[in-house]
Amino acid sequence: MNRTLNVIRMQLINRQTYIWIPLIILAGSFVLSLLVYSMIPGDVPKYGGGSQAPLWYFLAVGVQALTLTFPFSQAMSVTRREFYLGTLLTAGVTSLVLTVVIVAGGLVELATNGWGVNGWFFYLPWIWESGPLGAAFFYLVIAMLFFISGFWSATIYKRFGATWLTVVLIGLGAILVGIAWLIGRLDAWAEVWTGLVTLGSVGFAVWGVVVAVVLGAIAYLTLRRTIP
Amino acid sequence: MTTSDTVIEVAGLTKRYRETLAVDDVSFAIEKDKIYGLLGRNGAGKTTVMSILTAQNFETSGELRVFGEHPYENARVLRRMCFVRESQKYPDDALPKHAFATARLFFPRWDQEFAERLIDDFQLPSNKRIKKLSRGQLSAVGVIIGLAARAEITFFDEPYLGLDAVARQIFYDRLLEDYTAHPRTVILSSHLIDEVSNLIEHVIVLDRGRVIMDDETDAVRDRAANIVGDTAAVEAFAVGREVIHRESLGRVSAVTVLGTLTDADHRELALAGLDVGPVSLQQLIVRTTQHAAADAATDEGALR
Repeated sequence: MNRTLNVIRMQLINRQTYIWIPLIILAGSFVLSLLVYSMIPGDVPKYGGGSQAPLWYFLAVGVQALTLTFPFSQAMSVTRREFYLGTLLTAGVTSLVLTVVIVAGGLVELATNGWGVNGWFFYLPWIWESGPLGAAFFYLVIAMLFFISGFWSATIYKRFGATWLTVVLIGLGAILVGIAWLIGRLDAWAEVWTGLVTLGSVGFAVWGVVVAVVLGAIAYLTLRRTIP
Repeated sequence: MTTSDTVIEVAGLTKRYRETLAVDDVSFAIEKDKIYGLLGRNGAGKTTVMSILTAQNFETSGELRVFGEHPYENARVLRRMCFVRESQKYPDDALPKHAFATARLFFPRWDQEFAERLIDDFQLPSNKRIKKLSRGQLSAVGVIIGLAARAEITFFDEPYLGLDAVARQIFYDRLLEDYTAHPRTVILSSHLIDEVSNLIEHVIVLDRGRVIMDDETDAVRDRAANIVGDTAAVEAFAVGREVIHRESLGRVSAVTVLGTLTDADHRELALAGLDVGPVSLQQLIVRTTQHAAADAATDEGALR
């Protein structure tokens, strides 16, 4: 267990990757969004998706967690299992920090009625419909999903090479298209959209947890035979 | 072969990549608290063997035991080993001090004072990112981790790339000093055979994935001798002996003959006025490897 926790310290050597860049992305997209909001005339509520930007970046964090640190962890005589658990914990902690920043920003927005310009960067009604804790849960799950996806992609690349990574990604894309085709075939798009709306952000995030667990298990199985 | 002092046992170890056989039915045992040289040409399989022993790579078939257990995903075994490889990668943002602080967390016998002394010895800048270090400084980071970790089994895979002669000597000196004070098993793979020949007690030579020599260094040195003198006399002595190398300049010849010389041989040599010299470990290994390669070539020829 101690060695697993020490992996967190090993990962956090890359402070830039885990802490500074996500915060810079968040701050940057926040400032840009406010500038844009201030240019829009009228007092209609202005929503933007800018707070998602650092969540997308977690895809890259997942990639770097493997490529930058896995070979070094092997030199430190760390098992793959210790490395994986420690890395997931690192991702969990940094996702949590990011979530707290985003939710705190949303609370400030609520208190200041959109920074006085009715502009909403952190607070998006659909995500916040179950309150700040629901929103936090949603953001945390999405960040982890992005992280695990990035980590798994990098592991496939490391173990099987670029060709297989491309094949897997195209295969996943094909499955999604297949599902879309099936929904269209069953004439069920209306039901799907209503389903998503009634599911709400928390229900959506619960499904996100299921996907993250499955993907996380697959990523671990891929890592088990990866050579640094 | 197996005694209570055996720390590594390998039997029939084989690693096959799609086209090539990187390690071919290798068997050997490593004893506690000795310094081994794992020698051989590029591509002979040295790195692959060391990677498999540290569970970084996987065997295709064969048995291996480190401290009596398989090392794969085995923290109990792995934490007692340290593998310093020539092309080690470090986290992007890492300074040397980060790498050392991390090593301190994972190697239970890490000696911080020793590490600091080595940083001074190698004049390693500690506030420059590892990414930006010179080749020699990068090697020094690995060497310092390997030495200061004091792991019970330490693998050094060509650790000296880019280190100048002075820095290499520092490495050999510190290794020997610290080994004397804190005995442990060291497995050193190197191209500079003569440089390390005074360091290593036991030699394992790999050639094309096979073990072609596994013996005490002293015994290996006794295996062959250089005979120098008048060509006719040298040739007369060489009759019926296995000659692995021959050189001549004018009327003087030198041959390297395999086999330990007997007292009778020494008398014969003295009578013929021939000089006997020791063969350097490097020469012997180079010759034996060439010899093995030639044999392999004739075998293949005979098969066709």
